[in-house]
Amino acid sequence: MLNNRKIRLMTKLAAFETKDGKEDIRLSKYYKTDYVRYQVLKSGLSTTVGYLLILILAFLYKLEYIVKNAVSLDYKTIGSYILGIYILLITVYGLGSLAWFSFRYDASRKRLTRYNKLLKRMNKIYKEETTES
Amino acid sequence: MMPLLVFRERVKNFYQRNDIYLVPIIKFIFAFIAFQVINSEIGYDGRLKSFLVVFIMSLLSAFTPPAIMVLLAAGVATLHVYFVSPILSILIIIILLVLYLLFVRYTPRLGYVILAIPILYILKIPYVIPILLGIISTPIAIIPMSCGVILYFVFQVIKTAVTMQINMTVDDILQVYTYVVDNLIGNKQMIMTIVIFALILLVTYFVRRMSFDYAFEISIASGALTGLLGFLVSYLILGKSSQIFIMILGIIASGIIVFIVNFFKLTLDYSGVEHVQFEDDVYYYYVKAVPKVTVTTPQRNVKHINVKYGDLGSQSLDSEWNDTDTDEYDEDEDTYQEDHRDYTYHRRPIDRNRDDDR
Repeated sequence: MLNNRKIRLMTKLAAFETKDGKEDIRLSKYYKTDYVRYQVLKSGLSTTVGYLLILILAFLYKLEYIVKNAVSLDYKTIGSYILGIYILLITVYGLGSLAWFSFRYDASRKRLTRYNKLLKRMNKIYKEETTES
Repeated sequence: MMPLLVFRERVKNFYQRNDIYLVPIIKFIFAFIAFQVINSEIGYDGRLKSFLVVFIMSLLSAFTPPAIMVLLAAGVATLHVYFVSPILSILIIIILLVLYLLFVRYTPRLGYVILAIPILYILKIPYVIPILLGIISTPIAIIPMSCGVILYFVFQVIKTAVTMQINMTVDDILQVYTYVVDNLIGNKQMIMTIVIFALILLVTYFVRRMSFDYAFEISIASGALTGLLGFLVSYLILGKSSQIFIMILGIIASGIIVFIVNFFKLTLDYSGVEHVQFEDDVYYYYVKAVPKVTVTTPQRNVKHINVKYGDLGSQSLDSEWNDTDTDEYDEDEDTYQEDHRDYTYHRRPIDRNRDDDR
């Protein structure tokens, strides 16, 4: 026979799993430190690549000037400038994504506790059913 | 006002019953407009302009996540430019990559904004986006919005650059390249637009969050006013007074569009019917879950507010105080919850889905 209580619960669970919960359930497989570290590494990498691309664009833009003054350029100053901006960018992006992704992890944990509560109810129903039969 | 509210209820009912068909249709229409606008604006490659190609691409984006549509649009635009100038298309790809790596990847859900801004710019109503995002989003949306503005101006510059005679010598390529970069960096209008758009979004957002009556309507008006003043000042400074008239019309139209969207917002709030599938040991279930609150007829709804308001309020308080053990689950509680949801709907329309499982 159909158990309406169970169907209602299962519907809620399934709706969560297919919509908002997809990402949350994926996140639940990580520890917080692992997840945040992974994300910070990823954003560090993407920042590096983005910065390199900007450098290439800037290099091409100034190419004429660079070729003309290739001998007399002060490479040390330019190098330290490039490095300085890079360190600045990496720090800002690293700290930013650290804060952002920890926030997101905590938010997803909160949603998951509600989901787990429903799962517990579900479990209860299952136990009742098995003892009945 | 009453007939309008009834009409809104009808539309909402219709949407909730048929959203499984309506959403792809709406997405298809948007995608079709987007691709057509791109083709008319920078349609250099005739093959991509054929109706069949546009139709297939729109169909594809109707059934896939919005990210695919953004990707397709970027691809089409790049291919069009590639047809006339491979060098410029490489430049576009690099700029897109930089924007993605440094900014857009942090706000993946707002990716469609980047596509919407250039499209609406060409349709002369880009002001819709900042006002709308102020209503439905948070200030973080400034990031993708600014990227969209940059992208629009990049393509404006590219459009003039492709008319230049390009030979394949290094000198010429460098010349075109420096021309594009010069025009981008020195583009005061772009920077002003980014600033004004951000201002509009912030003003709309903060007015919307204030707690007085008609906050949403007033926030739309104040956002539009901010835009009007901001662009008026910027056009006067830049000496582009010929564009002022179109700008004013555009802002008024944008305000009206956002107002209409806001009126139907609950419908767009992902609160449609849920279709879910699951199974247990005995059955397969194909469940269609319809949110109860929206199926009530509008007339009865209005009656409910006054009659049910008082006793429901006390009920909900009582149950919240007594309901200490949330793990207990019984039939009564469940039926009560639906009433309770009805109550929360009137008080706080947006949050109603969050209270479902209390």
